[in-house]
Amino acid sequence: MSAQALDAPVRAALAGLLLAMADDEFVLGFWDSEWTGIAPLLEEDVAFASLAQDEIGHAQALYQLLADLEGGDPDELAFGRRPEEYRHARLLDHPRTDWAFSVARRFLYDTADAARLDALAASAYEPLAGVVAKMRREETYHLLHMHAWVERLATGGQEPRARLVAAMERLWPDALCVLAGVDLLVEAGVLAEPLAAVRRRWLAGLAPELERLGLPSPPATPPAGCRGPDRSDDFRWLWEQFTMVRRSDPEAVW
Amino acid sequence: MPGQPMQVYEVFRREREGGPMQHAGNLLAPDPELATHYAREFYGRRQESVRLWIVPRAAIVDLDDPDLLQPPFDRSFKKPVGYSTEIKAKLAQARSRAGTEQVEP
Repeated sequence: MSAQALDAPVRAALAGLLLAMADDEFVLGFWDSEWTGIAPLLEEDVAFASLAQDEIGHAQALYQLLADLEGGDPDELAFGRRPEEYRHARLLDHPRTDWAFSVARRFLYDTADAARLDALAASAYEPLAGVVAKMRREETYHLLHMHAWVERLATGGQEPRARLVAAMERLWPDALCVLAGVDLLVEAGVLAEPLAAVRRRWLAGLAPELERLGLPSPPATPPAGCRGPDRSDDFRWLWEQFTMVRRSDPEAVW
Repeated sequence: MPGQPMQVYEVFRREREGGPMQHAGNLLAPDPELATHYAREFYGRRQESVRLWIVPRAAIVDLDDPDLLQPPFDRSFKKPVGYSTEIKAKLAQARSRAGTEQVEP
C-alpha cells in the first residue's frame, strides 16, 4: 500500500503513529545519551551510549517515513518544533535520574516497543514494514541487554533492588502510555491489532519475569494526556539541550 | 553487583566468513553474559565482525618461558626461509630454460 492509496483519516492516523514512535525513540535516545562518561562501568558506558545512538538512528528512519508521507524535512521534524509539539509517551518525560531508574525506563520502553513492532511487522503500509523489520533486528540485542540488567539489579543486593523497585513503581503508569491510542489503523491493515490488545500482550509477556523477580505490577489503565501537549519541566530542559546548537543558527548548513 | 568481581575477557574476532579468528582486544565484565554484550559493542557494533570468541583470561594457558621459546643456539635451520629462497631460485632457472619467464608481481 502506498501513501496515495490511504484515505485522509487513515493517513492522518498513520502520521500520528509515526510521529509518536519517532519522538519516543528520539527522546529516549537523548535521555540515555546523558550517561555517556558516567555509566557505572566503562564497558557499560560504551554499551549504553551505543543503545542510545541506535534509538536516534531509528528516530531518523521514522522521521524520514513521516516526511515521505506528509512532506517536510526530517531534521526540521526532529529539531524544529516547540516542546509542547512533541508526541512522545509520558514515560519519556522523566529525567535520567539514577542508574536503576534509567534501566527500569529502558526495560519498560524496549519491551513495550517490541510488542508494538511485532504488531507492525506485517503492516500493509510497506515503507513502515521495511523500517520495522530493521528495527526489530536491533531491538533483539536491546532486549537482551535490558533483561540482563533488570535481573542483576533485582537480585544484586538491597540497594540496587530498592532503587529498581522504586523506579518501576514511579514509571509504570506512564509506561502504559507507550501503547495507548490510534485504532483506526487496524481496519486499514497498517497495524495488526488495536494498541490496547498490543498492550495486553506486552504485559502478559512480562508478567512471569516480574513475578519471578518480585518486581511491581502495572496499574490497570494509563493516565490521561499520554502524549502531551502538557510536558514536564524535565523534558523542557532536555529540549533546550538538544535544540541548542540548531537554535543558535537555524540557517546554518552542515 | 555485590559478590561479582570483575574479570578480564579476551576477545577474538572473525572479520569475514572463512577468515581466521584474530585477537581483537579485551574487556572487563562481571559475568560471561555481560562480557558477550560488551564484546558485541566493542568489536561488533560497526558490522566489523561475523563471529566473536569471548574467553576469560583465566582460561588461557600462558607460556613465556625463554628457555622454551628463545633457546640460545642458532636455530635458523629450523626455519623454512632458506629452503624457500633456494626453491625460488631453482624455479626461476627452470622457467628461464623453458622460456616461460614471468615478471614477479
